[in-house]
Amino acid sequence: MIAQILIHVLFGMALSATGLYAAALYADNERAAWFSMIARRIFSGVALGLVVSAVILVVLILQHRFDYTYVWNYSSRELPLHLLIASFYSGQEGSFLLWTMFVALIGVVLTPYARRHSYEAPVMVFYGLIVSFLTLLLVAKNPFAYFHESFAADGLTIADVRDNGKGLNPLLHNAWITIHPPILFIGFASMSVSFAFAMAGLIRREYHRWIDIALPWTLFGTAVLGFGIMLGGFWAYETLGWGGFWGWDPVENSSLIPWLVVVALVHTMLVQKRTRGLVKTNMILAVASFVMVLYSTFLTRSGILGDTSVHSFVDPGKFAFWILLLFMVTFSAIGIVMVLRRRGDMNIHREEFSPTTREFMLSIGAALIMASAIFVTIGTSWPVFMEVLGLPKVAVAIEFYNRVHLVLVPAVLIVNALSLIFIWRSTPRAKIQSLVTYGAAVAAVATAVMVAIGINDVGQIVLAFTAWFSFAINLRIGIGIIGASPAMAGAYISHTGIALLIFGVITTSSYTESHHAVLVHGVPTPVGEYTLTYLGKEQVEKHYADREKFKYFVRIERGGSTETVAAVLYWSDFNKRQSPFLEPGIRWGLHNDLYVSPKATEREDLFQRTTIMRGTSIRAPYDSSVVIELERFTMPMEEEQTADGRMQMSAVLNVRTADSSAVLKARTKIATGASGPVFDPEWVQLPGSTMAVGLAEIARNNEDPTKSTGDLVFRDMSKPLPRPREVFTVDFSVKPWISLVWFGVITMVLGFAFSIVRYTRQIRKQKALVVTQDTPLTDTQA
Amino acid sequence: MKQLPWKYIIAGAVILALAWVGISALSDSSIEYATVDRAEKLGKTVQIIGTWEKSKGWNYDAQSNTFAFTLRDEQGALIPVELIGAKPNNFEAAVSVVVKGRIDDGVLKASNVLTKCPSKYEGQPTDAMPAS
Repeated sequence: MIAQILIHVLFGMALSATGLYAAALYADNERAAWFSMIARRIFSGVALGLVVSAVILVVLILQHRFDYTYVWNYSSRELPLHLLIASFYSGQEGSFLLWTMFVALIGVVLTPYARRHSYEAPVMVFYGLIVSFLTLLLVAKNPFAYFHESFAADGLTIADVRDNGKGLNPLLHNAWITIHPPILFIGFASMSVSFAFAMAGLIRREYHRWIDIALPWTLFGTAVLGFGIMLGGFWAYETLGWGGFWGWDPVENSSLIPWLVVVALVHTMLVQKRTRGLVKTNMILAVASFVMVLYSTFLTRSGILGDTSVHSFVDPGKFAFWILLLFMVTFSAIGIVMVLRRRGDMNIHREEFSPTTREFMLSIGAALIMASAIFVTIGTSWPVFMEVLGLPKVAVAIEFYNRVHLVLVPAVLIVNALSLIFIWRSTPRAKIQSLVTYGAAVAAVATAVMVAIGINDVGQIVLAFTAWFSFAINLRIGIGIIGASPAMAGAYISHTGIALLIFGVITTSSYTESHHAVLVHGVPTPVGEYTLTYLGKEQVEKHYADREKFKYFVRIERGGSTETVAAVLYWSDFNKRQSPFLEPGIRWGLHNDLYVSPKATEREDLFQRTTIMRGTSIRAPYDSSVVIELERFTMPMEEEQTADGRMQMSAVLNVRTADSSAVLKARTKIATGASGPVFDPEWVQLPGSTMAVGLAEIARNNEDPTKSTGDLVFRDMSKPLPRPREVFTVDFSVKPWISLVWFGVITMVLGFAFSIVRYTRQIRKQKALVVTQDTPLTDTQA
Repeated sequence: MKQLPWKYIIAGAVILALAWVGISALSDSSIEYATVDRAEKLGKTVQIIGTWEKSKGWNYDAQSNTFAFTLRDEQGALIPVELIGAKPNNFEAAVSVVVKGRIDDGVLKASNVLTKCPSKYEGQPTDAMPAS
């Protein structure tokens, strides 16, 4: 109850802090300082209140208070501590709370920072508005709703509160859920900062200074969001067994789009820092990066993409849907109106770039990255566009993204290398020639080697060449710089990381060998160049009553080396144990991963089946002189029910040998299983032989019952019945150099860390000097 | 300023080229949501939203790695589906499935089957858990 009221109060407080900051903008100095002081305190109160709300929610989850709808919906008594904490943000309400809390906490750090740069009121008025919207969203999707309130329409009361919650989807039961969503939300939250600074710059009519102040924050957001996206890919690869690290799924795209925009923004901000150009572009991109966060949230949270993604989507309810839409429209409108109002001012700052300069190449690069963002947005939104236009709903296949990026990525890599070869303002021709020749030579040799090993697709060859070109240039210039001034090497480290990532993408997409393998227990089975043996299973986590979780051990041999991996099959009450959740078994390696993705497990079929249609005959598989004719099937009412309530049917068979003929009834017991009827045949000995026949399946032909078919099985009754062995079906793949994907992204993030240090230092130094608007900044750079 | 037209021509050409790449990729890879009826007429890859026809069961053949079931589309038409691959997660629990594939000889050859689960979110408590 208190928590519900608290959320409403926080919304009011956020709104009033925003109002006070707005008042501070227009008041005289003395009153403005007073307004800001009050607003600051209220804002801190909002942040504190959000932390308190989060703590309350976590405590409610830990106490298993299933009288709260959210707690009932996403947690259960069986969950271990780290997953109980993670269930705090496993649902919509909680994840909005987490996002809002991060925005508010970042705000607490941002306030004194903005104040130091005398930017508090203009920044915080926009930032406060963002927090207001987010808290309003929490009012609409309150995580503290009571069970009996949520289901009042179904006639449920407090007496109906459950003893246990529904639990967390077993696919989410691992360490990744404890870090991936928070990191992603910190990244999302940071996007608000660049937006607020850009708007503040427009209010103050200071079109350059905000760039310096906002740059470290923008770099931070880019690094964190990029890292968060990679963790998602890693999770999909490691646990969910999707086989790859990226599938162009709408949810993946929805975090990629703002990231691409903010990457473009980082580059154009650098251009403006050095040249004073691209003023309007930076404003627009700062607005776009934030609006795309909202748009992505809207796409994935409003339920409108429900049929196109592997992620579960939810209809958040009408109210929340409209708030999300209003949120997005409001901030787009604010951005557009603010930029248009200052259009005249900003046009004064136009700069012309000559093509052989770094600023020119960085601008082109940013444009290409924006093109990628636009294509991904179009692809992801396509079903929605078509629906809004009243056309037949159409989705976009993965090939769309692959095709456009096979053009865009090589272009970006070339432009990246050129932007490093060129220097600011103008570049001597001799320097261009020597570096381009060096880069092209390295790339040509390396690509030739890759072609020799086996890439033959033109697109991949171009991609490889450009990635090597960029890699060589970055490495050469970067090494020169890291010795002189490590903090300045950030860009080179990041770009090297991107080249490594692209190498990983090429090797995994071109050289991955994938095989479908049916492994009979204990039988070594050749699969490609490897021999796989299913060794048996072991139950784990036996102390939980809600699950049966098994490790399936598979031995992988090649030459003299032997590895054993364990794939996991997991039957859970979560889906009433109807089918297992699957986790791959992976042998990690630097130069390749061996990836065993489980598909199914079953008992082997001991007997060869022979299908026979009514009114036709077959020859017995053990003796071709014996003819068996299927006369008809008996109806269940002709037969008795078994003691355990199963119905029975029989095949009426005419069996003719050279010297005799007999009519047999092969009866079968039929039970209803999850995947349809399950047949249990009774063996009927055939005359003059030790062989017996059984009816293993009936396939009824509904249109023409006289054409129904049956499956017959035969066995030798003089021999004991063999025990069926377990058959484990897997997809086995060898993924060369997939480690480069993870290593590349981590290197990229590391580069960002260097740059954050560099620009934070720079702005401290600048504050020590007195900054005037018109002096271009000077920092020593090659 | 005399160089300006050049710049605009190059920029325009690059934008046109990118737009062409995008549009041609889009038209080649767009997949319509269709009913069984329409999918049969189109004869190309589509997505069909429907439900699993439980009375017909499902079958997974490990040797050929084929998962088969019968789909009932939103208009009630039935079609057998064959997916190369394992049974999708949460298949039984799904309230609806989205099958991507093309109809060939009366069989929907699927390249992908998405399952939509209701229970996870905003579920009715009455059927999700036994009351305490």
